[in-house]
Amino acid sequence: MGTINAAMSVIGGALDADQEALSVVSNNVANANTPGYTQEKPNWQENPPITIGGIQIGDGVMETGATSQRDRVLQERLDQQQQLAAASSTRLTALNNIQALFTPDSGSSSAAAGDIGSDVTSFFDSFSSLEAAPTDNALREQVLSSASTLAGDISSAANSLNGQSAALSQAATGIATQVNSLTGAIAQLNLQIESTSPKADAGTLEDQRQQDLSQLSQLIGINQVTTENNGLTVTTTSGQLLVSEGQSFQLTTGTVNGATDFFLGGADDTSQLASGGGQLGGYLTARSVDIPNALASLDQLAYSISTSVNTQNNAGIDLDGATGTAANPLNIFNAPAQVAGSAASMTVVMTDPNQIAAATAGKGTGDNSNAVVLAGLANQTIVNGQTPVNYYSNFVSTLGSTVLEVQTENTAQNASVTQLQTQNNALSRVNLNDEAAAMSTLETSYQAASQVFTLLNTVMASALNLGVETAVA
Amino acid sequence: MDERKTGQANPDAVTSEPELKAMAAEASRALAALDAARLEELAVSCEALSRSLAAESGASELRRELARQAREAEDDLAAFGRVLEATRANLSVMKRLREMRFGELEYQARSGAGD
Repeated sequence: MGTINAAMSVIGGALDADQEALSVVSNNVANANTPGYTQEKPNWQENPPITIGGIQIGDGVMETGATSQRDRVLQERLDQQQQLAAASSTRLTALNNIQALFTPDSGSSSAAAGDIGSDVTSFFDSFSSLEAAPTDNALREQVLSSASTLAGDISSAANSLNGQSAALSQAATGIATQVNSLTGAIAQLNLQIESTSPKADAGTLEDQRQQDLSQLSQLIGINQVTTENNGLTVTTTSGQLLVSEGQSFQLTTGTVNGATDFFLGGADDTSQLASGGGQLGGYLTARSVDIPNALASLDQLAYSISTSVNTQNNAGIDLDGATGTAANPLNIFNAPAQVAGSAASMTVVMTDPNQIAAATAGKGTGDNSNAVVLAGLANQTIVNGQTPVNYYSNFVSTLGSTVLEVQTENTAQNASVTQLQTQNNALSRVNLNDEAAAMSTLETSYQAASQVFTLLNTVMASALNLGVETAVA
Repeated sequence: MDERKTGQANPDAVTSEPELKAMAAEASRALAALDAARLEELAVSCEALSRSLAAESGASELRRELARQAREAEDDLAAFGRVLEATRANLSVMKRLREMRFGELEYQARSGAGD
C-alpha cells in the first residue's frame, strides 16, 4: 500500500506542479498585452527520491515558483540606447524648428525671417540703384524700406529663437516633474522588492520597476546599479543620485542669469544633464547649444552690417550737406553697443531719407561716390572676415549640416533600439534554441549589411571619381 | 503604395532602377529590422551595379548618372554606416551576454556534478 500511496503522491505532486505551471502560463497569457510584462517560466525542481524496501522510487517534480525571463544586461543596453535616441529625436525636432525660421518663403515677396539672405542683397542693391540718381527721393525711400525689411526680419528671427528657447525651458521643466514622479515610484518599488523578494526575481514588481526605468530612460540619461537584496540605485550619467534604495532625490529648477537651470542635491547639473541623454538632454542641448549658436551668428551679422553701414554713412554728406557727428550721427540702423543682443534689437532709426549720405564731403550733395562705397560693402569682408551674404549662407549651411548630422545619429540610434527590442523579445519569450536563432539572425544581418555597405561605398566612390576609388564615408 | 504595387496597377509604366539614395535608406531600414534576406538581395543588386560600372569606360552616361545619385546618397550612406556601427556594438553586447549565460549554465552543471 505504501508503494501505491507513494506512487499516488508522486502523481499528485506532478499534477500539482502542472497546475502551478498552468497558472504561470495563464498568467503569461493574461498579461500578453500588458506593457512591460516579462514572461515568466515555471521553475521545476526534482524531489529527492524515496527508498522503500531497498528500492529507490523517484518522487517526481515540484514547482518552486516562476522566474521572469529578463536579462538586465540587455535591458540596460536597451535603456541606454533609448536615452540616446530620445535625446537626438528631441534635439532634431528643436533643430527643425530653428531651421524652419531660415527657410526662404517660396513664391512670396513678403518679409520673413527665412528671407534674410535676399534681404541683405536687396538692401545693398538699393544703394546700387541710388548711385544712378543720388538725389532721387523715391530711391532714398527704397534704401530705408529695404533696411527696415532687413532689420525687421533679423530681429524677428532673433525674437523667435528667444521664444523657442523659452518653450524648450518650459518643456524641460515638465520633463523634470515626470522624472521626479518616476524616481519616487522606483524608490517605492525598491522597498517592496527588497522586502518581498530580496534574493529572487520579484516578478510583477520587477516588471513595474523595469517599466518605470524604461520610461525614465526616455526622459533623462541614467546609470543603474543593482544593490544587494535586489535593490536598485539610479544616478544621472554624471553620477548624481536620483534613487538610492527607498529614497528618491528631486530634480529642482531655478533661474540663473535669466535661464531655467536644473539642480540635483543642491548642485547646478544643467550642463551635465544636457549631455546626459533622454528628452531632457535633447531639450537642454537645443537650448544651450543650438539656439545660442544661431543667435550668435545672427547677432554677428546684425552687428557688422549695422556698424559698417552706419560708419560709412557718417563718413559722407547727406542731401542737406550735413555730415555725421557724435551729437547728430547719420545712423541708418540703431548703433549696437556690443555683438550680443544686436539681432533682437536691430531696427532702423533713420526716418528722413535725405539723411542718406550718398555723397563724399567736398564733392557736392549730388555726388554718388559714398553710395558706391555703401553698395560695395556687399562685397567687402565686413562680417567675421566674410561678405554679409556669404556669412549668412555659411550660417544656414552649417545649420543644415547640424540637422543632417543629428538626423543621421537619430536614424542609427532608432535602428539600434529596434534591433535590441527584437533581441529582448527573443530572450523574454522563447527558449534557448530560438534565442540562438535570434542571435544568428543578428549576426547574418550584420554580415550582409557590411557587404552592402562595402559595395555601395565602392560604387559611389567609383562613380564620383570616375574610376578612381576613394572612400566617401 | 510601393513601386511593385504601382507596377502591377499600371503594366505600361516604365520600371525605373532604384536610386542609390533609396538603396542606402532601404539597407538602413532592413538592418534595423534584421531582415537578412532583404540585405542579401540588396548585396546582389549592388554587386550587379558594381559590375555594370566596371564595364563602363570614361565619362559615360551611366557614370554621370551614378555620380549624381552618389552625391545625393552620401547622407544616407553615412546614416547606414552609423546603423552598421550600432549593430556591431549590439552584436558585441549580445555575444558577451551569451557567453555569460553559457558560463552560468556550465557553472551550474559543474556544481551539480560535484553534489
